[in-house]
Amino acid sequence: MSRVVGIDLGTTNSLVAYVKDGAPMVIRDGAGDALVPSIVSIDDDGTIIVGREAQRRLLSAPGRTVYSVKRFMGQGVEDVQEASGLLPFGVGGDPGGVVRISVAGQEFTPPEISAFVLRELKRRAEEHFREQGEFDFEVDRAVITVPAYFNDAQRTATRDAGRLAGLDVLRIINEPTAASLAYGMASRDRGTIAVYDFGGGTFDVSILKVEDGVFQVLSTNGDTHLGGDDIDALLTAEVRRKIGGAAGDDSNDELIQAVRKAAIQAKRDLSSEEETELRLEPMAGAPAGYRQRMTRTDFERTILPLIERTLEPCRQALADAELGPSDIEEVILVGGSTRIPLVRRLVHELFGRQPHSELNPDEVVALGAAVQADILVSGRREMLLLDVTPLSLGIETMGGVMSKIILRNSTIPASGREMFTSYADNQTAVDVHVLQGERELVTDCRSLARFRLRGIPPMPAGMPRIEVQFQIDANGILSVSAKELRTSIEQTIEVKPAYGLTDEEVERMLIESFEHAETDIEARLLIEARNEAETVIHATEKSLCRPDFDQLAADALESGEPERITLALSAAKHALEGSDRDLILQTTEALNKATRHLAEVVMNRSVREALAGKNVRDV
Amino acid sequence: MLECRNCGAGAPVDKHFCQQCSRILALGRHGDYFSFMGVPRRLGVDLHELERRFRDLSRQFHPDYFYNASPTERLASLERSSYLNDAYRTLKNPSARIEHLLALEGLPPATSDEGGAKVPPALLEEVFALNEELDEIRELRVSGGDSEGLRVRLDAARAPIERKRDEHERLITELGDRWDATADTAPGERPATLAALREQLLARKYIDNLLAAIDREAAGLGVT
Repeated sequence: MSRVVGIDLGTTNSLVAYVKDGAPMVIRDGAGDALVPSIVSIDDDGTIIVGREAQRRLLSAPGRTVYSVKRFMGQGVEDVQEASGLLPFGVGGDPGGVVRISVAGQEFTPPEISAFVLRELKRRAEEHFREQGEFDFEVDRAVITVPAYFNDAQRTATRDAGRLAGLDVLRIINEPTAASLAYGMASRDRGTIAVYDFGGGTFDVSILKVEDGVFQVLSTNGDTHLGGDDIDALLTAEVRRKIGGAAGDDSNDELIQAVRKAAIQAKRDLSSEEETELRLEPMAGAPAGYRQRMTRTDFERTILPLIERTLEPCRQALADAELGPSDIEEVILVGGSTRIPLVRRLVHELFGRQPHSELNPDEVVALGAAVQADILVSGRREMLLLDVTPLSLGIETMGGVMSKIILRNSTIPASGREMFTSYADNQTAVDVHVLQGERELVTDCRSLARFRLRGIPPMPAGMPRIEVQFQIDANGILSVSAKELRTSIEQTIEVKPAYGLTDEEVERMLIESFEHAETDIEARLLIEARNEAETVIHATEKSLCRPDFDQLAADALESGEPERITLALSAAKHALEGSDRDLILQTTEALNKATRHLAEVVMNRSVREALAGKNVRDV
Repeated sequence: MLECRNCGAGAPVDKHFCQQCSRILALGRHGDYFSFMGVPRRLGVDLHELERRFRDLSRQFHPDYFYNASPTERLASLERSSYLNDAYRTLKNPSARIEHLLALEGLPPATSDEGGAKVPPALLEEVFALNEELDEIRELRVSGGDSEGLRVRLDAARAPIERKRDEHERLITELGDRWDATADTAPGERPATLAALREQLLARKYIDNLLAAIDREAAGLGVT
């Protein structure tokens, strides 16, 4: 039996987890790191690089690197105009169509970029299972999480990304609800809880009632464009203003990314320190060794208006659940941005109680996704998640007014139907315009899809009885059917959002991705070989640069040995400049051999020194 | 009567699973939330019991538990879960519960003017008077009138409407209790009780709208 996993596909970082012996756990790399930065870089030769390495390339090759792509999932060009200003990659596309990201001379849709991240997580999980000695380590099914406040188009885009990565997406679940599942595993089995989920790019709040293992969401609210990214952008802008001069140049991607990196570091420091120093690496346009003192008070003053924007959704969610702050028995914090002390303080004030954060706020969502995946495949019934649809769904009626068919905060799966008729005599077709949102006017709502019910027999106006039925599945994804009841003419469509991909597009991309898979594997092997080579070269250079190297060589090395090492070193460095994997492997191996004796000598000397030092102190 | 799509056995419309092969049954055209959730057709609903039934049935129908089942069963699970969610939301809310009962008993909804239910003329007069008062307050506010004085006027306008609402609430509860109580003792009285209930519901909608208008005006004055 192949494996199932839970995936938290985040704006900043992504994680993969699974249930082992009844308990969820996240999968870590060799260095113990569970977070895979959701960053994708395209190398000169078209190689796709994901994660930490791509993050490094954000500084060295900003024009070839994409981050925060989650913000563009399910969006149209019109939605993202103001967001795309300072990004090192291009964001465009045709009016009324899906966003296209141009990077390294190529165009991708957001689901394709997300699929690269998902494929990396799939690979990481498969490697983990293989290392565990599992016979069947293939990962082909996953539960993927999305912000609770994601609309239909954003959910569908996420499901498409999963398909493109070769995953059967068992279920799309909401991040705050997933977090509550992970907490529910460990804590008491009843109560009213609020989950405050402030991540890299999105903010969600969900109010849940937990009883007898049923996790029922009462209401949810949020903002899909509010997160740590916005804090970073605010700080980056402030620092660039302070530096002045060339730092104000919007086209200097390298400098902007360097300032952004320094600002993010300062933000993190200020979660534990009262004061920090923002440091900029020397580079063009930056004053040499630029430093700026920053106190937590300054930081909080800058970000307060942003954090306050999370409070109104919390109040709205409480009102929708018909509860007051004092009815909430537990508050759970999720998402990296909840590490900021100001966030904790404001949440504490709003709900009047100390929020929980026992579980790692970065990992808790992936853990919950793993629990849900396990429920689906195992048929375990101790726990059940009942989620809601975050936004009302309806259709356009006369005068450009939105008529709601399923109200927000309805428990899903949900269905609803409404009767319509024609407005002209002998009208044989009716246009159905599917909308999502809370506003009265069609122009203020999200247009999800349009379709035409044809073949209505000619009748006087008002005679046809057209029943439009909405069905939201457990993923929160809508399908719509329309039926003329007098004639039983029926039409069902899966709502393929205007800003989404058609099935044909997904199919085509899938085929292309299989074609790329071969080169992707080669690319990965090349990166691994390079990393290995860099490690060995670095260690060798370190030994050669020891101040006591000459003495050491005279004492312990054979004659000609230092020369052999230098030769092997330059061969390895030369190979590293190209992209011939075999050559890199060979020269690395040769360098390894040539330095084995040296490494022993250095090691022995270090041990002796350490022991000697100890003896001196002991005396 | 339902027919099991798996084994072909017949099943009563209120059964969720086939008694013969125990597979989940397709929903069919169900119309009665009370019987679907297995609670008596009464306006006085024990909310704890209703919630317990909701959780219990969710655990039986939810698509999570039919992930590996046949497409027919998966569809049945989706439809039954959707219907259950709708039923629970409707029966939980007192007004929606009455509306559902009206529909079950064959009465037009309280939102429409069909069926002869009329808003009492006295109430309509009050609506007009209050609207005039609200217009006047709004004009004074816009032209920069004394907001403290306007607030007092607004509170004075609100008080009688609130009293009226409480009175209607009491009447609706009373009529609901009577409808429940006469189920076995005096079934002949029930249609009249229901018609009266519908009229009260219609009147209450006017009252709720008035209160909402007052709240909007209060918000304009900066009163929370």
